[in-house]
Amino acid sequence: MPIIPADLVHSGGMPSAAELEAKLLGGETLLANTPDHLIEVVDVLNSYGEVLDAYSTNLIFQAERQLLLPFPLFKYLDGDNSPAKIWRHLNHDRINFEYAEYCMKAMLWHGTGGLDAYLDSEPFAASCAAIISKKTRRDPLLALLHPLFPSFLIELIRAAATTHALGQFWRVMSDLFLDLARAEADGQMDSIDAVVEFLKAGLVAAAANPITYGVEVAGEHLWVLPPEAGLTFLVDVAVPYVEAVFLRGMPFLGTVSFNAQAHQISPDQAQFAYGALYADPLPTMGSGIPPSLLMQDMYRHLPERLHSWYLQRTRGEGDVRVKICMSFQKSMFCVTNAAIRGTFPHPLGSTDPQARSANRAYAAAWASRLAVARTDCLAVKPPVA
Amino acid sequence: MLSILLLIPFAGVLLLALWPGRPAEGRMRTVTLLVLGLQMAWSLVVLARFDPGNSAMQLQESFPWVDILGLEYKLGVDGLSLPLVLINGALTLVAGICTRDIDKRPRIYFALLLVISGAVNGAFLAENLLLFFLFYELELIPLWCLIAVWGGVNRAYASTKFLIFTAASGMLILGAFLGLALYTGTVDFSLTPVTSERLAMGSQLVLLGALLIGFGIKVPLFPFHNWLPDAHTQASTPVSVLLAGVLLKLGTYGLLRFCMGLFPEAWALLAPGLAIWAAVSVLFGSLAAIAQTDMKRMVAFSSVGHMGYILLAAAAVTPVSILGAVFQMVSHGLISALLFLLVGIVYRKTGTRDLTVLHGLLNPERGLPFTGTLMIVGVMASAGMPGMAGFISEFMVFRGSISAYPVATLLSMVGSGLTAVYFLLLVNRAFFGRLAVTPLIDPVAHGRLDVNLAAVAPRETIPAMALAVAVFAIGLLPYGLGKLSEAATTAMVQLPALAAALQTGGLG
Repeated sequence: MPIIPADLVHSGGMPSAAELEAKLLGGETLLANTPDHLIEVVDVLNSYGEVLDAYSTNLIFQAERQLLLPFPLFKYLDGDNSPAKIWRHLNHDRINFEYAEYCMKAMLWHGTGGLDAYLDSEPFAASCAAIISKKTRRDPLLALLHPLFPSFLIELIRAAATTHALGQFWRVMSDLFLDLARAEADGQMDSIDAVVEFLKAGLVAAAANPITYGVEVAGEHLWVLPPEAGLTFLVDVAVPYVEAVFLRGMPFLGTVSFNAQAHQISPDQAQFAYGALYADPLPTMGSGIPPSLLMQDMYRHLPERLHSWYLQRTRGEGDVRVKICMSFQKSMFCVTNAAIRGTFPHPLGSTDPQARSANRAYAAAWASRLAVARTDCLAVKPPVA
Repeated sequence: MLSILLLIPFAGVLLLALWPGRPAEGRMRTVTLLVLGLQMAWSLVVLARFDPGNSAMQLQESFPWVDILGLEYKLGVDGLSLPLVLINGALTLVAGICTRDIDKRPRIYFALLLVISGAVNGAFLAENLLLFFLFYELELIPLWCLIAVWGGVNRAYASTKFLIFTAASGMLILGAFLGLALYTGTVDFSLTPVTSERLAMGSQLVLLGALLIGFGIKVPLFPFHNWLPDAHTQASTPVSVLLAGVLLKLGTYGLLRFCMGLFPEAWALLAPGLAIWAAVSVLFGSLAAIAQTDMKRMVAFSSVGHMGYILLAAAAVTPVSILGAVFQMVSHGLISALLFLLVGIVYRKTGTRDLTVLHGLLNPERGLPFTGTLMIVGVMASAGMPGMAGFISEFMVFRGSISAYPVATLLSMVGSGLTAVYFLLLVNRAFFGRLAVTPLIDPVAHGRLDVNLAAVAPRETIPAMALAVAVFAIGLLPYGLGKLSEAATTAMVQLPALAAALQTGGLG
């Protein structure tokens, strides 16, 4: 646990760990099933799907086309360096790709799961050596840098690999969220439980998708994450992503400012609880902070139904980003719910005592972590709408 | 010309009183604003007709009223009173604009507001001591009513305290004026300086002492300040604006016009003590402000401190210091009105002014960001940041006083530094950090941490914005106000009796 608890900014009304565990074991949804919640979750995921589409495209572009570029000035332009696009970028008429990079860095820094293990393996080192060797032949700056800082370019390739993997993960999630919105629009979804089931089915279907990454260097195709590495969507990318972005996160300015020098942050990185599920929706004394960036992006793609819903509440347009963040947290609890539901060690209806015990332990582990998250938003009537 | 400045508000009172039926609050407010707008416009006409190069009373009007009592209806304006008349016009208009939700007797409320405005105009323009006193007393009861009827929970206590203190102030002032007639054996209540040839120094000191305490209560100066924080705390926002912005200036105006102007020799004799008194008042006000947890009491105590600068400037009696005193009266009027307006907005939106409860109000999405921004402007101005009105006035006061009373001036400068301390405490506690309206000891047990504060409508901040612009305008372009007052303030210092007394070390 962090020394300053993550629930510092809670307003109370959080369910206990036991209640959460009971819900998970009972197959209930964490988020209460209400018509308002359904609108919030479906529409915010619709908007998030659009944003993830852009993030995914850009991350894959960056990893494939900007690898080891000393000055990647145009990395957010997706290869379209026209004056009109540059002007829109400078005028900030654009998606905040910085948020996607922030998530990538969180994954890289927390480093859990199969992807991280592979990035420290011998085959990966060999791939890096091949790429660096080819790159340094053509780029004098890289040729100078590599002998001076031998681990620098390798670390950049690790970051690029994580970037590409996150891009692939978000490609799947974007399609899943947009499909969810279409299904709801077609009348196929009328409850939070149906949403969670839909997400679970999507995650399970994509679980074994291979994660690979290759680049073209001097006309030659080189693998960074080859198919032989056996990396897959769910275990090697989705789970580390949830761990790094949903749960651990980073104690950045903007939610609550933590001071490491004053020992306000746990020395154990694994105990961090600053992720999306714990984040304070209220931006505190900062602009351009990561959660606000995401909310700005989602605002650009907000469905009209949810926009009108927001306009009728609290300050209308004035605090719309806070409301988007609150809805986003609810939707992320649904995604987490789906992920937990899909990864129970045994079927929930099992009568085998050992299987039930294993399921209970699994649910308890999750419940204890979620008990200090912003679960106050899950109730039928949250303390503050 | 000047009588119209009295006629407009009092005619407005009559209009409100005779308005048929039971008019709604909105209509009364509109009528009042029109009257106050007209008064402000006429004040500007007076400004246009005023000759800044002439140090004497101008645009004079007079007729004998009660000869046997020496009461003469005589009005005039000079570079000392004109800025205060303008401030009165502007701040009464601001008070009218920011008056909202008068749930009981709106007709009387607005009528009292107009009475105060007219009476203050009368007091600043009166050239006869008794006439001044009449207007000085005339604003007392309406203000008492505004606190006692439309005030906060402890309004009875605060208004009674206000009444007792200011009634005592009035009695002392009247006593001094009557004493002057008694000692000199005439009923001449004109603004003629009293010299030793007319009155013995001992008698002069007694009369000046009574005036000093009388106006010291009104200013207020330590230790007569006790009524002010309570009155402010219980008064509604518009009344606090008037009280701090205009009514306290009656006290400082009295110090300059009557204490210094009537008894120049005794003033010169007491001046070193007055400078020490000013420094004590400044330091006391500032230190007391640091200890406050109620935003309004903090601003109220800051007024006690900042009014001390005017006494210091008056004690120094140099052209720069007296001009600085006029600047300080104007800038304090604008800045304190701005601060009280903003505290009023915070109170209306959050339901509290407690600095141990308010946090993070500058939050851009759900807090009061624009109010917070203006508050930072206000506290910067109050702390004397260059480019704003507070700086130019404090600089002139200190520059004009340091050669005469270096120790008292340096101590007052410490008070100026302390202003930054308590106002930064205010801003840090209430506006920075995570938005909350609860004690942070145990948020779950003590209250909600997540709050939905109503947004501040742009029209609510327009008066505060206008004041902030004025604060910058005076800070960046002090020449206009300086030109308006310089001739009069320089002439005050060069009064033959005062100049002679100062040259001979105050012993006349």
